[in-house]
Amino acid sequence: MSGRSRAVVRWSPWAGLQDKFTMSSSGIPLIGLVDRIRRRIRQLRPSGDIAARIRKRKKVAAAVGKYLDVLRLGLLATGCLWLLALPLSHLQSGTYIDENALQPSQVNTYWDWGDVHRADKFLQDVTSLLDRNLSSAERAVFFATEFAKSGIPSSTQRYSIPTARGVLNGTNAYAIFSAPRTSGTEAVVISASWKSLTGGYNLRGVSTVLSLATFMKHYSHWSKDIIFVISDSHLDGMHAWLSAYHTPTNPNQDVGPLSIASGVIWTALNIDYPGHSFSHLGVFREGLNGRLPNQDLINSFRVISQHTGGVPVLLYDHYEPSEFPGREQIRSFFPTWLPDWIREHEDVMEYGYRAKNILRHFVYQAKGRASGAHGLFHQYRIDAITLFAVPSNGPHGFHALGRTVESTLRTMNNLLERLHASFFFYIITTPSSFLKIGSYLPSVVLVAASLMFGGLGEWVKAGWVEVKDEYMPSEKEKVANATPNSPKKKWIARRRDLLDAFMVVVTSHLAGLSIFVVICGEWLDTTRLAYIITPMCWVTLVLFRFTLRPPPASANAAPLPVLLKAINMCLASTLISVTSVLNFSLAALLAITLGVPLSFSAPSRSLPVCVTKCAVYAVLAFGWLALSGEVTQAIWDWQVLGVWFAPLVCLIYVPFVLQAGVVSGLAP
Amino acid sequence: MTFEFALAVATRTVLAFSPLERLLQDDNQLSSPLTSYSRLQEGVYLFRHGIDPYAGGTFRHSPLSLSFFSTIVPASRIPPALLWTSLDAVGAWALVNIWRSRSNIQRSKRDLRIAAIYLLNPYIFLPCLALSTSTVETTLQLLTLMFASRGQSSLSLLTLAVLSHLSLPAILLLLPVLLLLLSDPLSHLASPKPFPQKLSKCVPLLVEFTVSFVTLALASTLVAGGWGWMRNTWGAGFLLPDLTPNPGLWWYFFTEMFDHFRPFFLAAFSLHLAIYVVPLCIKFQHDPLYASFLLLGILGTFKPYPTLSDPGLFLSFISLFPETYPYLRYPVVTALLHLHAFLLLPLFHHLWIGTGTGNANFFYASTLVFGLANGSALLDYVWAGLRVAIGEEKEGWVVTQE
Repeated sequence: MSGRSRAVVRWSPWAGLQDKFTMSSSGIPLIGLVDRIRRRIRQLRPSGDIAARIRKRKKVAAAVGKYLDVLRLGLLATGCLWLLALPLSHLQSGTYIDENALQPSQVNTYWDWGDVHRADKFLQDVTSLLDRNLSSAERAVFFATEFAKSGIPSSTQRYSIPTARGVLNGTNAYAIFSAPRTSGTEAVVISASWKSLTGGYNLRGVSTVLSLATFMKHYSHWSKDIIFVISDSHLDGMHAWLSAYHTPTNPNQDVGPLSIASGVIWTALNIDYPGHSFSHLGVFREGLNGRLPNQDLINSFRVISQHTGGVPVLLYDHYEPSEFPGREQIRSFFPTWLPDWIREHEDVMEYGYRAKNILRHFVYQAKGRASGAHGLFHQYRIDAITLFAVPSNGPHGFHALGRTVESTLRTMNNLLERLHASFFFYIITTPSSFLKIGSYLPSVVLVAASLMFGGLGEWVKAGWVEVKDEYMPSEKEKVANATPNSPKKKWIARRRDLLDAFMVVVTSHLAGLSIFVVICGEWLDTTRLAYIITPMCWVTLVLFRFTLRPPPASANAAPLPVLLKAINMCLASTLISVTSVLNFSLAALLAITLGVPLSFSAPSRSLPVCVTKCAVYAVLAFGWLALSGEVTQAIWDWQVLGVWFAPLVCLIYVPFVLQAGVVSGLAP
Repeated sequence: MTFEFALAVATRTVLAFSPLERLLQDDNQLSSPLTSYSRLQEGVYLFRHGIDPYAGGTFRHSPLSLSFFSTIVPASRIPPALLWTSLDAVGAWALVNIWRSRSNIQRSKRDLRIAAIYLLNPYIFLPCLALSTSTVETTLQLLTLMFASRGQSSLSLLTLAVLSHLSLPAILLLLPVLLLLLSDPLSHLASPKPFPQKLSKCVPLLVEFTVSFVTLALASTLVAGGWGWMRNTWGAGFLLPDLTPNPGLWWYFFTEMFDHFRPFFLAAFSLHLAIYVVPLCIKFQHDPLYASFLLLGILGTFKPYPTLSDPGLFLSFISLFPETYPYLRYPVVTALLHLHAFLLLPLFHHLWIGTGTGNANFFYASTLVFGLANGSALLDYVWAGLRVAIGEEKEGWVVTQE
């Protein structure tokens, strides 16, 4: 054994006092027993290899330290590549129905041409409402009267929601058909908003709901109350109706109360039919703040639509590559400089189709935006989707839509309990395949792990520094063991004073908060904001280098940039991994927009490099202010619907990037 | 110092009157079935209307709390908020006093920091805002240790008796408190020595504790009008009748259990809580305050119906032992684990109870992370407390555990 191997003080937590006890008279008998057990354990494990174990442990630690950068960049790259690999068909599984009670497409439907004729007559009336340019209150009264004519209790609801850019006024109409078979503790909703998600009018959707109300009244097999809602505008009407339904006595709300009510709503179907005919039914599923409905609802609808209604199902309004407009759409999804033989390749087409679906989902979910009026239901624990009748010249109309909706309602009617938990985590890639949580979650977690390794590495770097031996003559310094290979170098411990770093962190978050308050105010033109704030922050970041200059590299205290970077990366990693179960797309967005910039922040000695880096970080932190349309929309979402995207960007994303900017702006 | 302390308390008082209370009151992480304020109100209501509150399964507070809240403090809005805030202030004051006794000084610069670490600890102030009676227990725990550190044996034992009466697992603190009363609260971590006193001196103290404990039990029986309260209050810790989720490790395990295994595992879990007392007291006989601190950590991690304030007390206690900081092996890992747990607990609870997209396994996973965080803090402090005695490493030498 070499000389170094003897440099070990053997110590056991059970050994400390034992010698003194054997000598002292006040011996406790337990100590003898403990000692015997200890000896027995020692016999089991030969103790001669302790030094070898320590050496091995040190070697591993040194290797981790040496290859840390490779490790974390590897994790970062793997995570990002995994995100790109999500559309590959190898990762996906086929959809199936998890809840046996649903029994989709197992019933005879009764919707026939008489009901279609009634829907046509309703369509004429509704069109004339539009032509006569009636106010929303008058329209709602008409709808309520039509419901009442069918013998269903109906009412209207007025609302006015104040926002930073004006007040939203409107009136909803709704009717509640009591279940003939039960006491009405549970309900399902069929709704149509006055405006379609395409921006046009949802006249045929409204007519379908009116005609369905009359139709359903004639049948006695409903075991859940059916609530018909015709909401005003696109999202705000349904928002007002739902919040009044679920918080009936809240005086702070600007929505009128509901005069009739039913039980707990379990599921909801929102019908959106903007064209005169349709070729496919598209499913829209994303809700506010990235919430999703239970996948069983979507799968049952797909089965029913294909087998009962005879209508093929699409995701959103994206045609599949096997259909005529689909190929062209996917071709144009790829950049034009790609040669045709690549763009036309079957596998590439398939990848492009899935990537397009995933990307649209990511955009909705990351922004926390509802893809249709159904998205407002999820926050009240209601599973809801929008059926979008993709406008076309044919062949389908009220007949196919009515049969599909009737059969879907019968399926929802079969439910004995709420749809199963944990079937909520999925990414649908085609109507018949999806990504399970296990195949998409690791991508973001890998990026978070990379950040965590980086942060912990910086933390170690802050606590220890390697110096040449001749510069360290003082014996008072905390001197640790030298590395075996370079006797002239030494590791010395440094103090880590977190206070300064924490002040920077707190200040940057306060800066984020103030920006949020500013852009939420109605007195400011957000379009010009970017041109003021970005240069200001850039100047501030550069000024950091001169104002916050730390004391000249002291051997005893860790430098501020290293500590700040450690905190920054650890916090960002925690945040990303925690978000990933709540809203995967948002976590993926954060993983890309924080993971990459934060990994490469570092102070630099040359001023031009520092200035360039600061400029990049300032643009990253505030460049989004230039997208004034998006900013306005995000603030509207926050103020009216309570979507967290705008505050999250201001309070989480901006401060983290600013901290990275400060790290790069400081002198090393 | 006093001014800043008053300022901190005033801030707490303002927070106590914020609308947060209504949101937090029934949160599973902040109040367990044994400490919930809503259940206390329910019990007081039943009691006032001549119904035995212990006949059902909702009320599990001690008869002492029952008599206190049905006579002295009305269960309306303002008095409890004030009472809970002042309890927290008393707790902070007691913690500062323990620090003063330990460092043997009248006042120091560190006092305010210690008070702040206690008053601003989210694990402490959130249960307090939720009016969970675990705040009462935390304060009593601190007062017990404060009196014991000052050598006021009768007060200390009486407080401990009341505390164990309210929450039976706290009786495990008896042994370290007795040792603390017989020795001193000063830090002897650096120079371990055998316990200076004869253990037979414990006997009169033990008798004193038993007398006060039995008296309290008799008084409770008088209040409740029968022995039925014991099964509902103390028995709950052993029989686990209420599986309402909480941040501890018991509830999920017993929701999954077949009934014929239940008695065995209940016994195993209860014994497991007790086995740490003697080893810790032997090993840290030179510093019984440190042993009490570690036991608080064990109680916070493994006790049957914990709330966040139990681990919170352990974490706030860390501020009393600065001599161990240089010897901690992985404080950052522990801190990050706690950060993850602190974010994951409410998130997964919300996913399960609120949005319904997750299930019980989600929340259980987050309680496991929380248990891991507490366990890693505990292990690190056991290591550091023992490691202090060896001192700094010399160059070329390594201290290792055999």
